[in-house]
Amino acid sequence: MKLLNQACACVLLSAGLLSQATAAECIAPANPGGGWDFTCRSISKIMHDIGAVDKPIQVTNMAGGGGGLAYTHVVNERGTDEELIVAASSATATRLAQNAYAGMTADQVKFLGAIGADPGVLVVGKDSPFKSLTDLLDAVKADPTSVTFAGGSAAGGFDHLKVLMALGRVGFTDISKVKYIGVDGGADAITQTIGGFTQAMTGDISEVVGFLKSGDVRVLAVFADERIAGDDFSDIPTAKEQGVDVVAVNWRGLYVPNDISDEAYNKWSDALAQVAASDEWAEAMTANGLAPFTKVGADFAGYLDGVIAEIQTLSKELGVIK
Amino acid sequence: MEVFSLLADGFAVALTPQNMMLAVIGCVIGTMVGALPGLGPSNGVAILIPISFSFGLDATQSLVLMTSVYYGAMYGGRISSILLNIPGDEPALMTTLDGYPMAKQGRAAEALVLSGVASFVGATFATIGLMFLAPWLAQVAFLFGPAEYFALFLLAFCTLGGMASNNQRKAAIAACIGLGISMIGLDNSSGMPRLTGGSLHLMDGVDFLVAIVGLFAVAEVFIFIESHGKESAIGVKLGKVTIPFMMIVKSFGAMVRASVVGFIAGVLPGAGASLGSFLAYMTEKAISKDKDTFGTGNPRGVAAPEAGNNAAAGGALVPMLTLGVPGSGTTAVLLALLMTLNITPGPMLFKERPDLVWGLIATLFIANFVLLILNVPLVKIFVKLLSVPPWVLLPGVTMVSFVGIYSLSGSYFDLLLMIGFGVLGYFLRKIDVPTVPIILGILLGNHMEDKLRQAMVISGGDWTYLFSSPIAIGLWIAAIVGFVAPMFLSKFLKKPSAVSD
Amino acid sequence: MPDPVGSKLFPIMIGVVGFICAVAIFLKPDEAPNWPKLGIVFSILCAVVTLVGYAYALKPLGFIIPTAVASGVVSYLIRRNLLTALLTGVGLSVGLFALFKYALGLGLVAFSKNLIG
Repeated sequence: MKLLNQACACVLLSAGLLSQATAAECIAPANPGGGWDFTCRSISKIMHDIGAVDKPIQVTNMAGGGGGLAYTHVVNERGTDEELIVAASSATATRLAQNAYAGMTADQVKFLGAIGADPGVLVVGKDSPFKSLTDLLDAVKADPTSVTFAGGSAAGGFDHLKVLMALGRVGFTDISKVKYIGVDGGADAITQTIGGFTQAMTGDISEVVGFLKSGDVRVLAVFADERIAGDDFSDIPTAKEQGVDVVAVNWRGLYVPNDISDEAYNKWSDALAQVAASDEWAEAMTANGLAPFTKVGADFAGYLDGVIAEIQTLSKELGVIK
Repeated sequence: MEVFSLLADGFAVALTPQNMMLAVIGCVIGTMVGALPGLGPSNGVAILIPISFSFGLDATQSLVLMTSVYYGAMYGGRISSILLNIPGDEPALMTTLDGYPMAKQGRAAEALVLSGVASFVGATFATIGLMFLAPWLAQVAFLFGPAEYFALFLLAFCTLGGMASNNQRKAAIAACIGLGISMIGLDNSSGMPRLTGGSLHLMDGVDFLVAIVGLFAVAEVFIFIESHGKESAIGVKLGKVTIPFMMIVKSFGAMVRASVVGFIAGVLPGAGASLGSFLAYMTEKAISKDKDTFGTGNPRGVAAPEAGNNAAAGGALVPMLTLGVPGSGTTAVLLALLMTLNITPGPMLFKERPDLVWGLIATLFIANFVLLILNVPLVKIFVKLLSVPPWVLLPGVTMVSFVGIYSLSGSYFDLLLMIGFGVLGYFLRKIDVPTVPIILGILLGNHMEDKLRQAMVISGGDWTYLFSSPIAIGLWIAAIVGFVAPMFLSKFLKKPSAVSD
Repeated sequence: MPDPVGSKLFPIMIGVVGFICAVAIFLKPDEAPNWPKLGIVFSILCAVVTLVGYAYALKPLGFIIPTAVASGVVSYLIRRNLLTALLTGVGLSVGLFALFKYALGLGLVAFSKNLIG
């Protein structure tokens, strides 16, 4: 019965019916299959495999509001839970910067660190008339209603912003005309694009790996400083190469509730640093097109403040917030 | 044929004594989880993921365990639907409509055996479909854009009319209540809360499990208090448990038809098992000669939704494996499991990991047989539940529901909401408004709105876009016919008696 | 960001359809249902109050005591028999606790620590 015991303990973990917590939890604020889910699952698994934590970490998916649901949940109901980590990314910072989490701010949780970055991509179906990033951007410039972008984040989210940033660089500023639909995750966005309902998909490279290998899609550009290493990726041109100076990487990291003890915070940041240094993580990054990007603890917090300020300026410039 | 040699390899992978044991364990746990109100297949699979880690199971073993739980829960959901009029999980909703009346007539055992066989037929059909057609079927997902999904959801709501009540207006108003409830919470498109009245508890929206348990289980308690336990299935003499061969043979056509409908609904990532069982039931009712006996204990009304929901469960594996798009909450959890095992489902999975895919398919066949063998003899034990007197059974069901719902969120708020739904359910039963459309509204409302808004963004506000593809037009026509036909037909047909009496 | 539908239109559409249905029902009402007598309404209210109390008591008081009381009351409301109600309350609370704790392995708290001291 030990088997069942452990299983059910995990169910009731959040129920507060438990006499004592038996395992930590990682909340992925989106449906399975997307970037946050990958972050939670890989980091949780590696933390346990390399012995950084004693017990396996339970992963919970809490989709909704572009991560806002999980954020409010953590701030309001789990503020002192020391056995909780939550997947975060540039999207989390973006939405916080844009005041899109129902007025919540970045200082209501503690950011733990980032240990990898997923470069943004613009993807079209294999039969698309758009052969390069310039083709696509020119088409939008000529007639914004002719192109709909699909992405896994809600309107105004990071996936949406990437498109607007690229358009801004080529002198298109009438961004309220750009058509974008936010669907349930990157895989869904690709399905809609392959189906021809939307003309392009904006997302992260990890979300397109399978479709890239099968040849169903063509990646027009990757928004990184340099091309991504690896057989499947090295052929993809960067946006910079094509004269569109946008670097939009989606860092992958974690936050923890605000009111946990310093020991708990340090315990988690140590564990995260161990993951970052592990071979397993290096493998996972390669397999999923992530570029190394390690900032843990105070270092990360400082970096994040800068990023949020930058996104705020940018969003105002782009007219996403007033 | 290549498929069969691949399948043989799959069986070679899956058929080890250890895997068989895991399959049996998975099926038993799945059936239990599915049968308990408030716990659904997604819970079952989710709680078992940590186990596969702590026991160091490899990829195949974990998959064997999980898929057995997955299929087991789909079988289990019908048990409480039939015996207690409380759906064990959301796809089992439709099984209450004819399953519970059958139980009331003392035919609980027949209904259970029949639905077990129907589940087997549906699941087997879906597995065969998955085996031969998966790569081709994956293309179907590309044919469904926002406009097509919107029309599909509309079809579901339009056919509600002739379903549970003799009164189309009441079914429609129930659907509106459900849709309205689904609007509560964060608006998917903008991420802003709506209709929450500022309550943070309502930010996440209303969980359909809370609504199901409230409307069915808690409301049942109030009904029993009113009748002092006299008007019930309980006390009805239990028939001998025999296998109703004739009934199975007669319903076989219904099972096959329902399997096809359910499987197609399952393959569409936006539809899911609940819609599968719903459409299977409605199709069967629409083509049946004795429409008016549906809702009063027609065996085909039990066979169709069960075959439909199990076929949909299998169908949902198609987009999950070939596109990485989960078609239902449960496949979402399975997808998550694959990802933890470092397997990324997608168009390359069948080529890159044939061992795994065919092992999975073989497992589905094994789990299915194990479940059929387990379930038919177990019917004897299940029907014993009916010999428990109501003044013990109902408090018991209520307490199980409370613990189940409490385990969802750990907040007393959901419990209060559930009691609220119980009161609402009682009133609606008194005034003969069916509760099934409410659940359907809560389940599908958000998706329906999202698809409408996405369609309008794509078209730039042009409403004709909603009818711009042959698939969409076909669905719209079916929806309109489904809505209008009962209005005219009801004049010619005898009024079917109400389900909630 | 063009969103021609916005976040209000769909709920309003539902409201309109719901209103039309309500009017249709009002214009062509069914036979009035058999509303329960006052005593039964009171019984149902008692059940509601008990369940609400149970929802609040579950966390602070642990599983066994609130479950025994709540299931006892519900049982009594269904069948007016003190003995069976008492037995149901005690039996269900202990039995379900055993089922959840030992068969299903849920980590239920039997008694609140505050109560035991």
